[in-house]
Amino acid sequence: MDPKIKMDALYVPSPDVVAREIEGELILVPITSGIGDLEDELFTLNETGRDIWDKLDGKRSPRAIAVELAAEYSAVPGEIEEDVRGLLEELLKRRIVVEGGGR
Amino acid sequence: MSKAAAGKPGLRVVRGGELSLSGESLLALLEAVLAKGVPFRFRARGFSMSPLIKDGDVLTVAPRGEARLRPGDTIAFINPLNGKPVVHRIIRLDRGFVVVKGDNVAETDGLIPERDVLGIVASVERRGKKVRFGLGAEGRLIAFFSSRGLFGKLLSAAKRIFSPATRRRAG
Repeated sequence: MDPKIKMDALYVPSPDVVAREIEGELILVPITSGIGDLEDELFTLNETGRDIWDKLDGKRSPRAIAVELAAEYSAVPGEIEEDVRGLLEELLKRRIVVEGGGR
Repeated sequence: MSKAAAGKPGLRVVRGGELSLSGESLLALLEAVLAKGVPFRFRARGFSMSPLIKDGDVLTVAPRGEARLRPGDTIAFINPLNGKPVVHRIIRLDRGFVVVKGDNVAETDGLIPERDVLGIVASVERRGKKVRFGLGAEGRLIAFFSSRGLFGKLLSAAKRIFSPATRRRAG
């Protein structure tokens, strides 16, 4: 079963992921079996995904991120919340983010 | 900016081999991964280390860490002329610098500061199989011949000697 995001929990990028902005795109390289493997699966985030990623600092919950983004995008918080939840669930499933924080 | 203009957040999954990265981009990823203290695996491009490393071989570069560099080591380093990553062999050490050269090129890359050495090639894979020759103690011998411009001649001679046609004649 796919993991579910708790909207009031805290999430951070996994320490086993290297993230670098390359040619305008955020590229995520998972460290799998102790190797950063460019020949394996990599992930990229689009601009909106990047906005969410940048806020994953272990201090803001998904709900708080959605509220901030709603203000930045002049959008309805409920809609943004669903988008944040959707992306974070995908990232959590792939172990690109982990629950934690409070730093 | 409206949300409609920004679009939904999206995660795209790509096979690493499908990414077309410039030298600078590859360097950025290489540095970021090695900075974590873990090896980096990627596909080599070019012919300067042929035939021991061929275009399309998959290399694993290990972080240098505290390892002492030695002549014969195949290393990834930053080319001072264009800032791009290169994989060549150390043929000589020179007080905080290394003299590096591709096995298949005539000229050295000049003096490279040791701090620009990103890592050491730990393995080479070709069509799914490990290629070990050139990464062990024999690397020193290759460096010796390569530094005197003899490695190419030696390889050509070896090819002639061990070619099936030669063996048939000998038999």
